[in-house]
Amino acid sequence: MPVAASAIYFLNLRGDVLINRLYRDDVGGNMVDAFRTHIMQTKELGTCPVRQIGGCSFFYMRISNVYIVIVVSSNANVACAFKFVVEAVTLFKSYFGGAFDEDAIRNNFVLIYELLDEIMDFGYPQNLSPEILKLYITQEGVRSPFSSKTSDKLVPNATLQVTGAVGWRREGLVYKKNEVFLDIVESVNLLMSSKGSVLRCDVTGKVIMKCFLTGMPDLKLGLNDKIGLEKESQLKTRPAKSGKTIELDDVTFHQCVNLTRFNSEKTVSFVPPDGEFELMKYRITEGVNLPFRVLPTIKELGRTRMEVNVKVKSVFGAKMFALGVVIKIPVPKQTAKTSFQVTSGRAKYNPSIDCLVWKIRKFPGQTEPTLSAEIELISTMTEKKSWTRPPIQMEFQVPMFTASGLRVRFLKVWEKSGYNTVEWVRYITKGGSYEVRC
Amino acid sequence: MALSGMRGLSVFISDVRNCQNKELERLRVDKELGNIRTRFKNEKGLTPYEKKKYVWKMLYIYMLGYDVDFGHMEAVSLISAPKYPEKQVGYIVTSSLLNENHDFLRLAINTVRNDIIGRNETFQCLALTLVGNIGGREFAESLAPDVQKLLISSSCRPLVRKKAALCLLRLYRKNPDVVNVDGWSDRMAQLLDERDMGVLTSSMSLFVALVSNNHEAYWSCLPKCVKVLERLARNQDVPQEYTYYGIPSPWLQVKTMRALQYFPTVEDPNTRRSLFEVLQRVLMGTDVVKNVNKNNASHAVLFEALALVMHLDAEKEMMSQCVALLGKFIAVREPNIRYLGLENMTRMLMVADVQDIIKRHQAQIITSLKDPDISIRRRALDLLYGMCDVSNAKDIVEELLQYLSTADFAMREELSLKAAILAEKFAPDLSWYVDVILQLIDKAGDFVSDDIWFRVVQFVTNNEDLQPYAAMKAREYLDKPAIHETMVKVSAYILGEYSHLLARRPGCSPKEIFSIIHEKLPTVSTSTIPILLSTYAKILMHTQPPDQDLQSQIWTIFSKYESCIDAEIQQRAVEYHALSMKGAALMDILAEMPKFPERQSSLIKKAEDSEADTAEQSAIKLRAQQQSSNALVVTDQRPANGTPPVSQLGLVKVPIMSNEKIIHGQDQSTGEQVVAHTNGALTIMDPQPPSTPSPDLLGDLLGPLAIEGNTGIAPQSDPNMGSGFEGGTNADALAIAPVEEQTNTVQPIGNIAERFQALCLKDSGVLYEDPYIQIGIKAEWRVHHGQLVLFLGNKNIAPLNSVQALILPPSHLKMELSLVPETIPPRAQVQCPLEVINLQPSRDVAVLDFSYKFGTHMVNVKLRLPAVLNKFFQPITVTAEEFFPQWRSLSGPPLKLQEVVRGVRPMLLAEMVALFNSLRLMVCPGLDPNANNLVASTTFYSESTRAMLCLIRIETDPADRTQLRMTVASGDPTLTYELKEFIKEQLVYIPVPSRSAAPMPPQVRPTSPPNAVLDPGALLAGLL
Repeated sequence: MPVAASAIYFLNLRGDVLINRLYRDDVGGNMVDAFRTHIMQTKELGTCPVRQIGGCSFFYMRISNVYIVIVVSSNANVACAFKFVVEAVTLFKSYFGGAFDEDAIRNNFVLIYELLDEIMDFGYPQNLSPEILKLYITQEGVRSPFSSKTSDKLVPNATLQVTGAVGWRREGLVYKKNEVFLDIVESVNLLMSSKGSVLRCDVTGKVIMKCFLTGMPDLKLGLNDKIGLEKESQLKTRPAKSGKTIELDDVTFHQCVNLTRFNSEKTVSFVPPDGEFELMKYRITEGVNLPFRVLPTIKELGRTRMEVNVKVKSVFGAKMFALGVVIKIPVPKQTAKTSFQVTSGRAKYNPSIDCLVWKIRKFPGQTEPTLSAEIELISTMTEKKSWTRPPIQMEFQVPMFTASGLRVRFLKVWEKSGYNTVEWVRYITKGGSYEVRC
Repeated sequence: MALSGMRGLSVFISDVRNCQNKELERLRVDKELGNIRTRFKNEKGLTPYEKKKYVWKMLYIYMLGYDVDFGHMEAVSLISAPKYPEKQVGYIVTSSLLNENHDFLRLAINTVRNDIIGRNETFQCLALTLVGNIGGREFAESLAPDVQKLLISSSCRPLVRKKAALCLLRLYRKNPDVVNVDGWSDRMAQLLDERDMGVLTSSMSLFVALVSNNHEAYWSCLPKCVKVLERLARNQDVPQEYTYYGIPSPWLQVKTMRALQYFPTVEDPNTRRSLFEVLQRVLMGTDVVKNVNKNNASHAVLFEALALVMHLDAEKEMMSQCVALLGKFIAVREPNIRYLGLENMTRMLMVADVQDIIKRHQAQIITSLKDPDISIRRRALDLLYGMCDVSNAKDIVEELLQYLSTADFAMREELSLKAAILAEKFAPDLSWYVDVILQLIDKAGDFVSDDIWFRVVQFVTNNEDLQPYAAMKAREYLDKPAIHETMVKVSAYILGEYSHLLARRPGCSPKEIFSIIHEKLPTVSTSTIPILLSTYAKILMHTQPPDQDLQSQIWTIFSKYESCIDAEIQQRAVEYHALSMKGAALMDILAEMPKFPERQSSLIKKAEDSEADTAEQSAIKLRAQQQSSNALVVTDQRPANGTPPVSQLGLVKVPIMSNEKIIHGQDQSTGEQVVAHTNGALTIMDPQPPSTPSPDLLGDLLGPLAIEGNTGIAPQSDPNMGSGFEGGTNADALAIAPVEEQTNTVQPIGNIAERFQALCLKDSGVLYEDPYIQIGIKAEWRVHHGQLVLFLGNKNIAPLNSVQALILPPSHLKMELSLVPETIPPRAQVQCPLEVINLQPSRDVAVLDFSYKFGTHMVNVKLRLPAVLNKFFQPITVTAEEFFPQWRSLSGPPLKLQEVVRGVRPMLLAEMVALFNSLRLMVCPGLDPNANNLVASTTFYSESTRAMLCLIRIETDPADRTQLRMTVASGDPTLTYELKEFIKEQLVYIPVPSRSAAPMPPQVRPTSPPNAVLDPGALLAGLL
């Protein structure tokens, strides 16, 4: 396995080092200065996540107000490095209780150093699963070995836990009520031309589960995806149902999923970790049901006036509704005065982002509210720079709707003791980068 | 101030200041800008208070670095507001947001003018400040007279007049043509009588600007300036607020003295006397005190006074007083003062005669060389360098050498260069010079440029007396345990040449010398090994009787390096090995190096170059220039034995091509290229002069006819057009160079053009011959260097006088001809080496302008030198694997050019192969599947392109041998084009049959009219 990191740095937005950890000595301690001068202080910041400066590669990403920079001098596995960062951040979040930012880092120096020691050795990523690490790295104080009271909790055998067949689940869990929660969360990315033709469209989805199950249960999940259905119909020599089948691209599973069985039987079966985890991720590029259509008309009337008309049409079922819909309509920088007429929701001009922001809290299906705005521009000294007309952006959440059409057909839980379980399934579709050119 | 009332503004400012990072700040600012836009767009309009507030905000945002491109209208409109707070913000924002080119300013001009001519003096001040800040042309045109009026008006308060003077100064600096200052000398004189110090200071600034432009008109003001100085110096009538630490208005003093420096001299004896009195007072009265501010002020005055003293060229006494003062300064502890002292001493050197006085402070200056502050050390070095002469050179150079071992790395290179130059310039004797340079190399090897040790080798080679001494010194240095590589180089070279002179001394037998040099071999880099190999060969040669043991040792080394990967080392090893086998012949071949021709020291040239960069050091430079004439003092003392006395400069001054001409040439060539691209089938390339006899030339697609038309007009055309005539034909540039009538009495023997063509293909032969003289040439070409030797042979029994040879190199060649003796003795042959460096590809030919006098005949010939394009080729065989990727990678013009050439002289393919090979274009058989095609390759060398692979493909048509298609590719567009044209010239070239219609230099044989007037028909026949 190639190296993922020689050193990891956590910087704040000014470029000060909050915490750093050198895993290998093939990079100098001052590499972060190079990062600061060559990336942070230039316009390149945020354009390209991988840069090479003087024989070292810098991989960086920004999480809230922290830059996480990985420095490697050898030929590293970039994907592995980024995955490591993402996983590490999830780990930190689960330790800090949700937030990961500069303050959280400052408040948890010791813990972070402890974790950094644990999750990577000599540049190779180690166990990053919060469930297991939490068993060994605790935030409690140190107990004196001479204390008379022996620990009531048995410290489990770490080696066995990590190397065992089911490393992600502890034995001997007991719940009074056995429940499984399953969420399908999709985010739609769209780029549409002003004429309404789709230029780019895809859906990235996740299946997130939360399990509170006793013992070592075996779960089996069936979706209405193409491969699974075809296999099933082959096995059972039963004609496939006429229902819609979905073709999933780039499916990745959590490590608990039994891949050999998936390869042979095309069923997703797994022993779940305790608590919340992400079971699978997928992408869909064909046959996406777009939840909204946006029809903008923007007219420039002379040098100082503009007229904006935007109609948004919801194309999901009439009984469903979208929440938190925000439509950002860009306007020129020299916008001075705006007046609106909206059929639902509220609109206002936000000069900080140079957009008209139209918010609709609850947006029922099969409706089409409109916004019409008149905009007055201020005259400027310099020749009027031609306005580039950035695309209209949209944010939304539609519960119980999947843009891909994916459905859970079954979720079976099997355990030795044969207890009953309660399964909860939820769907939600969010707007990713949902853009319409105007 | 006015801000106190504006809550919104202070809230905004504190918001911005409280922003955690840039991004938040931007958001806040954008929000505010949106707010301001909305407010400005409000139909109801704004109250003056609101307008003022938002314009202040705008200014604040602008000051934070954000782009504010609106609201100028509001700012300008505030100028006309009646109340001060609004007017103030209007003026301030307008002068910072707008520049002189904004149209909005026109709107303001009238209001500003009203304020200026108005009676309210605060408004006048605001307006004057705005005009001064913006200072645009329109402002100057419409407001300058009013400002002038304000300045001289007696009714204005000093405050306003002060501002008016500064405003006018700015307008004048910006647009001297617009501000009318005719007849201002009287007014200036009047102004200089001003009692108010503030107005006087401002007026003096204006006066300095006026005088710097034209001092003639202001002679009358000169006594006034001196009066001002007197008044200040005597501290008469200077109000308390204008004295600074007890010094009466130092600023005014400095300005006045600056102004006085613009007048060439002070003529009036009275004025002069009183001025000197004042200066004397300044010089005497200044001392170093504890208070820094007081020091700064008094020294500013003092140094300006020094500058004035230098400028006025005062009597020696005063000068020596100045130097004494400076001497005091360079001894104080305060570094700033020491710096200024040293710097001013360096400047003092410019005004001659103080050198002796400065010399008294030598010890102190040398101490400054050890100052902790590097800028002081540099100044001290400059000063030492500047003050050095024969008398103190030894001390100074030794001091520099001593200092070298402790100096910073940043200074070492400069230091070593300067030490080397001084040693060379002022050496009392040569052995000292050698000592110094060897020490220099020993102490600062890394910082000693090659030039320095080349120079020492030159000296030693040219001075026989010095050789044993140098050899001994070199031997001594080799005994040291660790020596620098440069030292190894010098020592090896000197010992190789002259170690035999030491043979009798203990420890200097060839064997010992060899072993001590050989010890160093493993430690040196590849560039030094060749020198060591030469040394071994020389030692071997000098060992008489031969020492078998040593011989076998050296041979082992040679054979070891025969397979060295470095071509230079390998070649030397092989050659020396083979040569040393030859026994006695070795003696002749490896004889002592001949003396070097005297050259201007490359070191001094280098120092001049580097000084040209730091234009600051004018004084040193000036002195260096003054002394460059005796730069070669030492070398001139000895008569160069054997050779006739020559002038000191071995370098032949080459006529510098005027820029105009170069541009002309470029225009031509680009013009040609355009033609070449637009009608690719044409062979005609030359833009025709207007007198072209065939007007339909471009329309005529027949190549041969085009050529004919071209050559036909060539002899008639202006010689200046010569550079343009490098195109399609072989109508040589030389052919049209005119020669004066009277020189033509001597007939050349043989055909000059033919000889030239032959020499283009081979490396030695006769270039020119007539009844009196024969000029032979022998050339060696290596990469982009060429070494030609001209053999000037006098065929007569009487000497040839006034021999002159001048090289007229084209811009792409750098040529250096060694000196040609003025007289060639009877029946003697003189050899003149000629160095050629090819800078860039071009087909232009160098011309040798050669003249001599035989009896009363003055003969002048202009000969083309065969330093042509193909001489810089190195034939190279390429394989198909190398050829095709290269060929494909060079795609399309300008790197790859294709042309159909018509009117080719018919020849068999084999002949063409032979022609190409003789042109050093290696024909690579088998690369092109078609047997009628030729593929050739070569490497071209020049300084600009370095080694550049050129690939040529010729497709012939077996049915019609007079035409072919040629494709030329290389990595350089110029090279491709030039090479294509060159080959074309060769292909259509007619190898001068004796009956020939070939172009002949008409001025050399003016008696043969058929050649001068070319018969197009004959030419055509020759071509076909």
